[in-house]
Amino acid sequence: MNELKKKLLSSFDNVEINIPEDNRMIVITKKESVLSILSYLKKMGYNHFALESCNDWIDDNEFELIYILSAYLEKDEQYQDKGKRNIILKTRISREKAKFITIIDIFENAEPYEREIHEMFGIYFEGHPRLTPLLLERDYDIPPFRKDFDTNKYVENTFGKIPSIKERKKEKNERT
Amino acid sequence: MDRNQISKWLKNPGKMANKYSFHVVYFCTGCGIIEIPPSITTRWDAERFGIIPVATPRQANLFLITGYVSTKTLKPIIRTYEQMPDPKFTVAFGSCPINGGMYYDSYNTITSLDKYIPVDGYIAGCMPRPEAIFIGITHLWKLIDMDKADGYKRYREDYVHYRANQEQLFGELDWPPLFSEENIK
Repeated sequence: MNELKKKLLSSFDNVEINIPEDNRMIVITKKESVLSILSYLKKMGYNHFALESCNDWIDDNEFELIYILSAYLEKDEQYQDKGKRNIILKTRISREKAKFITIIDIFENAEPYEREIHEMFGIYFEGHPRLTPLLLERDYDIPPFRKDFDTNKYVENTFGKIPSIKERKKEKNERT
Repeated sequence: MDRNQISKWLKNPGKMANKYSFHVVYFCTGCGIIEIPPSITTRWDAERFGIIPVATPRQANLFLITGYVSTKTLKPIIRTYEQMPDPKFTVAFGSCPINGGMYYDSYNTITSLDKYIPVDGYIAGCMPRPEAIFIGITHLWKLIDMDKADGYKRYREDYVHYRANQEQLFGELDWPPLFSEENIK
């Protein structure tokens, strides 16, 4: 891990690296260098793309995108001593212009993750072939995983406003 | 055959036959489906109550909705219910179909199921154990005896209102109405 840390620090600017545990490394970077760091790590043997996720930091007015990579143990013998090693790559993008570049060119299995993030947080990924709905059925004014989405109010306005069958019958009787 | 029930059999054989031969279709929403495999297999053996799982809704007359219902799964639930032949009964598990349960403020879990399809009985609990399922079934027998398990009749009578509620939630539906106005009369 420490070797990789030195290599990353020497070859990239704007990189902040923490190693909280033996098998885990957190890389915090600016959004411009995400693609190059990912392709660099893929060359270094971290070719298993485990997860892409998103956080909404509403006080900082920023979204945080998180990429988790890990290495296949069989390929690199040097990683076999202490089990699986994870690299967590974090970057922040602004909340108003929620746009980012897709990483499908490097890791192909990022496609469903990016579709889900697009649906839940409303981040647009440039270059993604199909950002169609994946999980949700309805259209939402604000994407539902954003912090300013008020769930109580939403439930009142949609499910709460649908009358029960008794109320429907009463309405009809009053009309006729 | 139970001798006490001979009079009931002679009075209304069709109803009694319905009562003791539930062919079940499960809708595997939420956590409740975990309770189903032990209750239909040897440990609790649902077949001694005449409950048997079937492959398709067109062969079934009991519909178990096991857990919370999201807006996306509500569509297939309505379609499944409409495909089942009369007489059909619906039982909903847990507190989530009653009022949303722990998902009362969720962005995609509907808060009460009986606004969209008629529900004959609820089994309370989070989740109900297999014993509670069988108690629920015996209560359903009583309801059938008293002609109170009339969800399918209510669905036919009030189809306009049910359809209106479904359309208010989904916008336009992909399928045509099940009953035309002539059918309801």
